[in-house]
Amino acid sequence: MAEKEAASTSTLAGGEYEAEDVLADAEPWEPIETKLVVWSFIIAGIVLVIGLFIVPTSVLH
Amino acid sequence: MDVVITHDGRNWVIENDRLRLASPTLDELDVELARLMRARGMVKKGQVAKVFMGFDNATIPEWMRPFAQHYFNRVVEVRG
Amino acid sequence: MTSVNRKWYSGMATQEDWWAVYLGLFFFFLGLLSIAGVDLVGWAVYPTKWVFNVPEGGKGAISHAFYALGSKYSLTAKAFYKSLGWWSIIWTYVIFTIATCIGAASMKWDLKRFFIGWTIIYFLTIATWFIGHHAFFAANKTNWHQYGLNFALSLGGGASFILALIFGLIIGNFFKGFANYLSVAAKPEWYIKTAIVFLGVKVGYLPIKAAATSAKMGQQMASLTGHLFLAGAVATIVAYLIFWPGIYLIARKMFKLPRKTAAVLGSGISICGVSAAVATGGAVRAKPVVSIMVSALVVVWAVIELVVLPGFFTHIWPGTADPLVAGSAMGMAVKTDGADAAAGDLLDEFMRNKVTAETNGAVVWPEGVITTSAVMTKVWIDMFIGLWAFVLAMIWVYKIDRRPGETVQASEVWHRFPKFVLGYFAAWFIYLGIFFANGAGAPEGMHVLKAAKAGAVPVEKGFRKLFFMLTFMSLGIITDFSKLAEAKFGRMVWVYFVALFCFIIPVAIIIAYLFHHGMQIPNIAGQVAAG
Repeated sequence: MAEKEAASTSTLAGGEYEAEDVLADAEPWEPIETKLVVWSFIIAGIVLVIGLFIVPTSVLH
Repeated sequence: MDVVITHDGRNWVIENDRLRLASPTLDELDVELARLMRARGMVKKGQVAKVFMGFDNATIPEWMRPFAQHYFNRVVEVRG
Repeated sequence: MTSVNRKWYSGMATQEDWWAVYLGLFFFFLGLLSIAGVDLVGWAVYPTKWVFNVPEGGKGAISHAFYALGSKYSLTAKAFYKSLGWWSIIWTYVIFTIATCIGAASMKWDLKRFFIGWTIIYFLTIATWFIGHHAFFAANKTNWHQYGLNFALSLGGGASFILALIFGLIIGNFFKGFANYLSVAAKPEWYIKTAIVFLGVKVGYLPIKAAATSAKMGQQMASLTGHLFLAGAVATIVAYLIFWPGIYLIARKMFKLPRKTAAVLGSGISICGVSAAVATGGAVRAKPVVSIMVSALVVVWAVIELVVLPGFFTHIWPGTADPLVAGSAMGMAVKTDGADAAAGDLLDEFMRNKVTAETNGAVVWPEGVITTSAVMTKVWIDMFIGLWAFVLAMIWVYKIDRRPGETVQASEVWHRFPKFVLGYFAAWFIYLGIFFANGAGAPEGMHVLKAAKAGAVPVEKGFRKLFFMLTFMSLGIITDFSKLAEAKFGRMVWVYFVALFCFIIPVAIIIAYLFHHGMQIPNIAGQVAAG
């Protein structure tokens, strides 16, 4: 496929794809996704606890 | 080397004044780019060439550009 | 012609984000000259309440429905600005037409179409501002008798915002050809970002305004804005780190969406809408069409939120008991800067009028504090999204896609940084610096603060409100509800619906409550009565 003639690179309008191109073929859930989600929640929890202590207007004060 | 990267609705497209490649996935695009650079002697055996791919924001519809002016730039190392 | 962000200064002449900074700071500096005794912004047009038949001894003459703010606040040219009256509309039009056309030309827009579109939108906006200030819409029970009325809707300036949105939506949904023509000048993001720079003047000016009552109140106000800054930062980071994985889980597990679509939706539905969808789409190397589809959904849902939430927060919960919880939650719930700031200002109008009516005028809140709380969370997330996109890019490139040889550059953070916040913070901190450098409300510095006020008010009140009005009108013009019915969005519409109402809004309210509950807005009723 090298040096294949490319289509012109104009602005996309969003109609170039059908919904299924974007919505279909969900990959199986992988452990890295679990890590990403869990760590986001954990960091949110840590920032929440620290924030409640350091922000003078929080409900802890 | 610098190239401009866009998406035409089907393929990722990279081009500059020396090359033009299109491929439906970035994985395939990178493989094709490496093959082409080696074939043309743009990267010698044992060398590493850095390719900067700057996304052309004109690809993003005009109504969306005020919200966000940057999609991505990527740097790919091609080994000879 | 390509548009690549190669250098740190790429796009400085061609991006709306930068032009919001230039426009905002230019008029900010013009206003600042009042400290040197030169008043160059007093021509700013502003509406006031009016009625067709003025009662004897009452007020509301149509001839005074528009005035130049300098006629009230200027220290050096009051008589001149007083003579402008309705002509201030033309002064404001001419000066802003020149300024915006310079920007449009620099951004390489179709200048003729921009000029015509801008002119139509400007005068439609002024007409709407006028209608919205009829006392029946804008007066409340503490003053409706002055206009010869026995009842009024008590919407304050909110009526004008609602009407501007309605007129814009009528054009956008029923006169699509006309809307398309106007779209070159219907730029809600540009107008709102400029308005947010003007809001920076407002935040810096709030302590100066409060100091007119007492030095202590001025310092309280400075402290309040500082607390909003800190609370907004922490609340936003907590909210985003809960929103994103929550939506990602919903999209992946409940709606079985692909990884990249779920990631982009997670950002788009979270706090900052289109900009986040684009940033995340780029970070996870999604095909641009994913961000485009999510963004098309976001802009329509954002307007629905803008219509629903200010009334809900004012009249159902949390109401006037916790106005800054409402403002902060608004910032975390409503997507896009334009819809959020507009919703925040609408909430500000609703809340202030409600508390004044509830207390028969015994409690009056200064304008703009609630708007500030809504915008503060949004500004923080606009900055945070660049960092989050950088983190996602590293996870996707190095851990998920694992493409050999690809690296992620730190410069991505800067390219995604919202530049207009530089103008916002500069305007805020410079006025705050003026407040503290001149005694923080102590009598010996008050003459400087009064001079600063003369230049600040036309900017933070006149220009800011005008640009909010332009935002409402433009948002309406570019919003086409029929897009929601387009089948191609498929399950994404339902992901959005479930996530927004069952997850985002409740969590936003809880987090806003945890960090803002009990924050009080200083009561300036005494100052209003005296002034």
